[in-house]
Amino acid sequence: MGNKDVMDIFRNVITQPGNAYLDEWVASGKKVVGYYCSYIPEEIFSAAGLLPYRLRGAGSVDSSDGDAYMSARVCTFVRHTISLALRGELDFLDGVVLAQNCDHIRRAADIFKKKIKLPFYSFLSIPRIPKERLFDWYLEELKRLKAEVEAHYKVTVSGERLEEAIALHNATRQRVSSLYELRKKQAPPVTGEEALTITVAAHLMPRDTYNMLMDELLAGLATAGGVTKYRARVIITGGELDNPEYIAGIEQQGALSVAEAVCFGQRSFGGPVEDGAGDPLERIARHRFFQAPCARMVECFDEQIIALKDTMKEFQADGIIFQRMKFCDPWAGDGHNLYWRMRKEGIPFLGLEREYGVAASGQVGTRVQAFLEMIGK
Amino acid sequence: MAIAGKDRQDDWEVVYEGASGLMELYEADPESKGMNAIVKGFRNFTETLFTAQDEGRPIVWHNCGCSPELIRGIEGVQPMPIELLTVLQDLIGDVNYTVAAIDEAEAHGVAPEVCSIDKSAVGLVLKGLYPEPACGFYFNTPCDSQITAIKVLTELNNKPMRMMDVPYLSGDREARYLAKQFREAIPFLEEHTKRKFSWEKFREVCEESNRTAECLRDWNELRKHIPCPQVSKLVALNTALLVAFSGDPEGTEVAMAFRDEAKERIERGESAVAGGEIYRAVWYQDPVWWDLQFYDWMESELKLVIPMDLFGFYAAEALIDTSTPESMLEGLARKSLRVMPMSRQFKGPIDNYIDDYLLLCADYQADFGIFAGHVACKHGHGGIGLFREASREAGIPLLFFEFDMFDPRVTPIETIQEYISQFVEDVIRPRKEAA
Repeated sequence: MGNKDVMDIFRNVITQPGNAYLDEWVASGKKVVGYYCSYIPEEIFSAAGLLPYRLRGAGSVDSSDGDAYMSARVCTFVRHTISLALRGELDFLDGVVLAQNCDHIRRAADIFKKKIKLPFYSFLSIPRIPKERLFDWYLEELKRLKAEVEAHYKVTVSGERLEEAIALHNATRQRVSSLYELRKKQAPPVTGEEALTITVAAHLMPRDTYNMLMDELLAGLATAGGVTKYRARVIITGGELDNPEYIAGIEQQGALSVAEAVCFGQRSFGGPVEDGAGDPLERIARHRFFQAPCARMVECFDEQIIALKDTMKEFQADGIIFQRMKFCDPWAGDGHNLYWRMRKEGIPFLGLEREYGVAASGQVGTRVQAFLEMIGK
Repeated sequence: MAIAGKDRQDDWEVVYEGASGLMELYEADPESKGMNAIVKGFRNFTETLFTAQDEGRPIVWHNCGCSPELIRGIEGVQPMPIELLTVLQDLIGDVNYTVAAIDEAEAHGVAPEVCSIDKSAVGLVLKGLYPEPACGFYFNTPCDSQITAIKVLTELNNKPMRMMDVPYLSGDREARYLAKQFREAIPFLEEHTKRKFSWEKFREVCEESNRTAECLRDWNELRKHIPCPQVSKLVALNTALLVAFSGDPEGTEVAMAFRDEAKERIERGESAVAGGEIYRAVWYQDPVWWDLQFYDWMESELKLVIPMDLFGFYAAEALIDTSTPESMLEGLARKSLRVMPMSRQFKGPIDNYIDDYLLLCADYQADFGIFAGHVACKHGHGGIGLFREASREAGIPLLFFEFDMFDPRVTPIETIQEYISQFVEDVIRPRKEAA
């Protein structure tokens, strides 16, 4: 299978709520459980024989059902996912595991519980401060989730099953990491639009299949030519972003995204869960709780900045494009702080606001052009 | 007096003069015992804050999700809610100063859809209007917008901060989790205020907090009386009281005044509405704090009274058990989880929010509910569909509109008046007449 074939598969996987691999999984009698955020570890689902499916709104043509329940003051990402669920377009889900990731998702959880009523529902209270002093609470929450999954699905999530799940997901992380390594080249073999397509697909299909497809893709990319026609290398950061077309719109202006530090991008993966001794659930918990923090987390902004600057250095980026979903409060604060930090450090920074499912508009194009001019590229 | 003779910024002078003017106006009026007490409390708070600054005592900033008893457990440390000047300007000063602070924050890059009280806090800090803190002690409730403001303020002032992680539910496990964080925060507060926490002082503070709570509970009961004995505009001020004065004798003074005024008016057979109330509504979500005269208008023009709202509701929860350090910390945790307005209703499942609304409508015999949708309140708006359904199932007519609780530019008062007038005329009056 060539690179184009693999990319076509991934594009098909991410275009609509469902995909062929999901259908096959469900047809074989296995269950799919939805979740919104990387603070809910996928390994627990995999260890229970469930397919973790990261909720998104792709394929939703309008958000009217979500609007009716949530008003227009809630972000369009959440409203589209709720619209899909209310319209029955996520009926392949057998359950959801949700959390108070933000005010919007917390209310989405209420709608999942009261209106959509999937057979399995669980809710985690995830601390907002990624410090050791709160780790035990997070671990307890994961233990509770594991117990609820075991009771509902009548399975045993043993240490051995968890180790297998860690190996499976680490294999994905290793492949995504290899992909990102290739992007450090002066002529990266993939664009940002392609890279985001690849990482989004990981969240929507069985991981063993995904890993095999990635092996084929990486083998092809190792010898493929690279992208040379670009004016500047940029890091795209911010909150939820699962729409590669949005990045395509940015890249059409001459910017090349070399890393996406966003939900569904690099931030979802991180390094591997540690091998070795110790409770596997605790190792999973540590990996997730102390991952590169996002804007929902507090008392860790310096760590976020360090991670971002390291990424800039590693990927030889010329600037940062920050994108935020309209009405997202957590990223509104971090967007403000990032702007001033970057300005202080002389790092070119462009802040963009967007709505879910809308490709980069002409206005975005103009702003990106101006940004590239500003940084002399 | 700490303000007079000092080179304070105009913004603070406006508030101080506003408080003084209102006190002069109402002091001799026995009908305004509650309003007088809180205005006096606000003025005293302002004086106390600047006295602390002038004396070089440490000031600890906190947010409205935080009930400040733990901070008060350190002798000589002055707590300061980051919402303070915004609330004071809207209530007793000049709302145009709030508007200017909001604009300042937006011009600095804070997104417009962040809550106006939080934008204003940022604007006030940018203008240098708050005394510098020794540190910040914050709670992650009631909403994301608060957290946003806290993160921005921390970035702007570069002062140490500690955040309490208030979990989703409010059971005993959650209370123990929060109490443990309180205990661990004490060394942080001691380190940055350079003062020693005293369990004895904390006990006194908690006892004071309990005295306030008892008055507020009684006051909540008294407001159930038909006709409602006390004006509508007083009710939401309960939240300002709890955030600014919990654990302070001033808070008990104010709560006693609220309670006593209601009691005396019942004894005299008086109604909040001159000529007699016709309609009663539970006001849910946020009050119109930039125009308290609006509540007078509802009473005089529509004969409509608000006996209770989300901000005035003091939930029936056990008082803080002051027998041991641990019981005090857990008691304070329970208050934070289950009593503090907004945190109680918003942080968890929508049931907390809806159940309180239905309870208030039943207990206060409301003819209808008013969902005053503060535009920035995403978790309020995010639950509107379920809220409407619950209201419909309970047979309670619900008026919904959007406005901003601190920024009069979003929905002018005339428009809000029109919404309410029409609803009363078209929906409630025929319904009452048919009953």
